[in-house]
Amino acid sequence: MDDLETLRGMRAEAPRAEADRLRPARDRLLTEAAAVSAGRGRARRAWRRSGGRGAVMRRRSIGRAGVVLAGALALVTAVALVVAQAGGRSGGEGGTAHGGPPQAVRYADKAVVLEQAALVAGSRSTASEPRPDQWLYRKYVVRQPGQDSEPRVFEEWTRYDGRQRAGYDPMGRFEVTDVPPDPGDDDLSPEAYAGKLRKLPRDPDKLLAHVRGDRHWIDLPAEEAHLTEDPDVRAFRVLSLYLEQAAYLGQAAAMPPKLEAAIYRAMARIPGVGVALDVRDAVGRPGIGVFHTPAGQPLMREYLVLQPETFRCLGSSRVWLRDERIGSELVFPSGSVYSSAETASAIVDRPGERS
Amino acid sequence: MIAHADRPGAAHGADDAEVIRRSLDEPDAFALLFDRHAPELHRYVTRRLGDSLADDIVSDTFLAAFRRRDRYDTTRPDARPWLYGIAANLIGKHRRTEVRSYRALARTGADEVAESYADRVEAEVTASAAQRELAGALASLSVGDRDVLLLVAWADLSYEEVADALDIPVGTVRSRLHRARKRTRAALGGVDPTAVEEGTRHG
Repeated sequence: MDDLETLRGMRAEAPRAEADRLRPARDRLLTEAAAVSAGRGRARRAWRRSGGRGAVMRRRSIGRAGVVLAGALALVTAVALVVAQAGGRSGGEGGTAHGGPPQAVRYADKAVVLEQAALVAGSRSTASEPRPDQWLYRKYVVRQPGQDSEPRVFEEWTRYDGRQRAGYDPMGRFEVTDVPPDPGDDDLSPEAYAGKLRKLPRDPDKLLAHVRGDRHWIDLPAEEAHLTEDPDVRAFRVLSLYLEQAAYLGQAAAMPPKLEAAIYRAMARIPGVGVALDVRDAVGRPGIGVFHTPAGQPLMREYLVLQPETFRCLGSSRVWLRDERIGSELVFPSGSVYSSAETASAIVDRPGERS
Repeated sequence: MIAHADRPGAAHGADDAEVIRRSLDEPDAFALLFDRHAPELHRYVTRRLGDSLADDIVSDTFLAAFRRRDRYDTTRPDARPWLYGIAANLIGKHRRTEVRSYRALARTGADEVAESYADRVEAEVTASAAQRELAGALASLSVGDRDVLLLVAWADLSYEEVADALDIPVGTVRSRLHRARKRTRAALGGVDPTAVEEGTRHG
């Protein structure tokens, strides 16, 4: 017997770990994965984000102007009418052409709803920008696909200038971490993101043209250069991302009302965009779901869930339209739902503070 | 790609690289990689450090791997070298613990690492004379040489895979393995009595 064989026999009875034994490690991994999913929103590019957490968050909503309330009442009427009309059509726009989602979905007229959203958004009040050394607090909930998955709650703090991040690690310890500059990271600090939003065109057509041609979203890093994206898909994704990011960023400070109005009007002009009713976020709040149906056989439908009166971003919901397999393994069966919900946010002076 | 039938990472239609690529869009998919490799990785770490440290190291390995999954070289279908390389760094932080257990085993014949899993399987907690000699040799190796030797002997990695895992040239794998096996052969042959004493340098 040579030395290697003797060595191979040493501690050879050591067992492979059983699933039970590995459960805590697996849960810890899935917790991290859930945080990335939620922090990412629709931004597939945000995987590059160091630390894997969402970088930005939302300020508590500001009181609405009287005109918004009036607008909300008008919308309720408009939606009721649209639904009544949609009854005679085959599921409404963008719904059933490619098989459609598994459960019955009711749709509204996207032109009516998104114009209403634009009117409401255009009349929001604004607030002054946070200081670079202030922190954005964000609390959100994620519900993973699968019947037995409990919603998970996450809290995170991001310094407005993006230099530090804070939160609880999977073992429950609070930690503040530096975010070193990363030239390979195309993600922006909250401050830089707010600056980017302020520079965007406020005219819907110009905004749409800008988003379609924005190299920030087109020039992929070398390792993703083989990926291509349909311009309509990208336009919808980027506009959704602006709405989500603004929601985390301190809406009133970061999102110019006229820009938000232009985003809804631009969305209404993208072929394949639709509006679904009764879409719920991860904590069960009902909203309207704005979505885009690309050509072909999409794997899933992703909804941006908006509060139906204020049109604030509540969260997101993804519904698998068909089975997703990796090789022979069924990972997500058709009908699986992943959802998130933004449940609290604030601008605070120190990490760990919540108001 | 070369499919090793006994290796879950390469046996199915979707190799590890595909799973990692998928996990960029669907982070949950990374759990598949965990299910494929965690049981065997846990066994490997258990053999080196005992099973309580193995829980933490396996957990930290997959979390670290997940966080840097966008940098995975997707031309490599089998993720084992990548995962074992990450684990090697984490194991390295416990080298005092590891070396202490080899020394104790060499001195007393009692194996505290085997005792750590003896409640789960029938394990030989008292080592043979040959294994005591071997433990003495393991204690005397540098961290780099020991990593190479044990990745070959206990993790069944090929030279190329060890080179990938430790990010060293294959030639360095060969020379480290040669050096390490000179010690283990000498220990078993009883030729090199300095092997155990030299271990104190690395404790």
